[in-house]
Amino acid sequence: MVDYSANIRDFGMDTISLAGPLEAKLLAVRQAGFSQIMLSARDVVGHPGGLESAVAAVRASGLRVTGFQVLRDFEGLSGHLHDYKIDIAKSMLEMCSALGAKVLLVCSSTSVHASDDPDALARDLRKLAMLAIPRSIKVAYEGLSWGRTINEFPQAWDIVCRADMPNLGLGLDSFHLFATKTPLDDLELLDADKIFLVQLADFMWTEIKSVEERISTARHFRVFPGEGVHSADLAALVSKLHSLGYRGDYSFEVFNDDYQQIPLPTVAERGRRSALWLAEGVLRRAVPLPNQLRLRRAEA
Amino acid sequence: MSTSTNLPREAIAEPVNPLGLNGIEFIEYACSRPQALGQVLEMMGFKPVARHRSREVMLYRQGGINIIVNAHRPSLTQEQAASDKPWLAAIALRVRDAGAAYRRALERGAWAVPSQVEVMELNIPAIHGVGASRIYFVDRYEQFSIYDVDFVPIPGVDPHPPALADLHFFGVVQYIGNERTADWSEFYRELLGFAELPSEQHFGILPKGRIMQSPCPPAARFYIQLIEPEAGLLDVEGQEQLQRVALGTGQVLQTVAQLSQRGVEFLQSKSVQTDHRGALTRSWQGSVSFELVHDLRT
Repeated sequence: MVDYSANIRDFGMDTISLAGPLEAKLLAVRQAGFSQIMLSARDVVGHPGGLESAVAAVRASGLRVTGFQVLRDFEGLSGHLHDYKIDIAKSMLEMCSALGAKVLLVCSSTSVHASDDPDALARDLRKLAMLAIPRSIKVAYEGLSWGRTINEFPQAWDIVCRADMPNLGLGLDSFHLFATKTPLDDLELLDADKIFLVQLADFMWTEIKSVEERISTARHFRVFPGEGVHSADLAALVSKLHSLGYRGDYSFEVFNDDYQQIPLPTVAERGRRSALWLAEGVLRRAVPLPNQLRLRRAEA
Repeated sequence: MSTSTNLPREAIAEPVNPLGLNGIEFIEYACSRPQALGQVLEMMGFKPVARHRSREVMLYRQGGINIIVNAHRPSLTQEQAASDKPWLAAIALRVRDAGAAYRRALERGAWAVPSQVEVMELNIPAIHGVGASRIYFVDRYEQFSIYDVDFVPIPGVDPHPPALADLHFFGVVQYIGNERTADWSEFYRELLGFAELPSEQHFGILPKGRIMQSPCPPAARFYIQLIEPEAGLLDVEGQEQLQRVALGTGQVLQTVAQLSQRGVEFLQSKSVQTDHRGALTRSWQGSVSFELVHDLRT
């Protein structure tokens, strides 16, 4: 029997952390006691019943959608490449909106065809955020640690500030922060209201030596917070974000080849243990959080 | 002087009215019962003056205010066609160059509306606005009008009926979601050159929310008022829409008296009271109401 007494409402699972079809992921996450899920475009595009069935499954699950990922290599392109990426972005926004996701995650570009001029990057993100406004979507820009120009969150923050759009903010991923060893004190530069999403994962090695190793670790060897060797850093990160006033969602984005071949409930349970550790052990929460009660209209 | 030292001090890049915006050409309602809505409009002083050549669309007019009632089935979604409630489907803006305005908006992140014109009809460029509504760009309003092409005048009817009192377009009220004021302000600022009014500046009797002022010359100026849900309990998600049209008049009480004689009822409640600053009609067909706002137009 799942214990619902702990307050882990702002922690969610990322579908990327689980194998199998969308419905099985939704069920496992729900049964592990989570109330939200971060969706990936692949979950819905590859659904055998098509987008509409995927949307129906998500709505029927009762899970709140943390966000939708991921738009890649978007900013800094020009001419026909820019126009092409705008079309891709529009498709992503349409899916995002169909799923009821309020946040679209955008990763900093790795493309050698992209400009490194910060004003050009900001201009493109500004346009993306404008496209997102009529659909009530916020855009979270994340500095990928192997991004070509933007690879740490302080740089991503600079671009977000230049773009200056109310619905454009930052997405943080603990993996990339730790991989680049960006000082946590730099978080104090940020406006906590402009952090739209935090993705959490640990990994098993203490040191990552090359960019190639960084990419392969990020894509295959992540573990849930508390399972790797960076537990103390994760605890410090979450505590720091809390002290800075961040009250948004945390999603467990755990790319791990082993987790792709063990039963979903087992993986989801590992995620739940991680959420409990952060909520109770690190943030030492009371249950429920005050001022978090919000009535929602039932889905039609 | 290098540009890098100039830029941070003075950002004068944008002209004040980048699109040459010059007022509202028309407001469009979509509905499944056009006659019922037509009765309401006639009560408000409008006259039917023309009908569309190929679609179930009527043009109503008084003075400089054009209202289009669109009951063309294929342009409604299933949900809309099934609903009895008319809804505000479009605002058409007068601009210097419709093509240029449209391209400029797309470059800055507007969504294009694919046009569906019949042969010999005008292709009026449009972008998506709030909810399912559209924003059209019209540049033919001086020498000849868009209605000359797509509409047939109703025989024996004055094509330019004078306005009741001195009624003119004053603005549109838009309902938005929680914490969405900054988003929508940016939308109108960036795409259309609107500017935010100081929070203490308000018109009429319903002062809630934020008012965005169009960059039009004074004689054609209009406003968009952005209103979030009441603070507190309910998330009204998915409820963003154009809510009502505001008409300006120099003499609110006289205009209210004239409209009342024609059968228009005005709300009198604890929170809404007709006075010299403005008035609000009751709502017809569950969704259509008009606000009157004191506004002298020269």
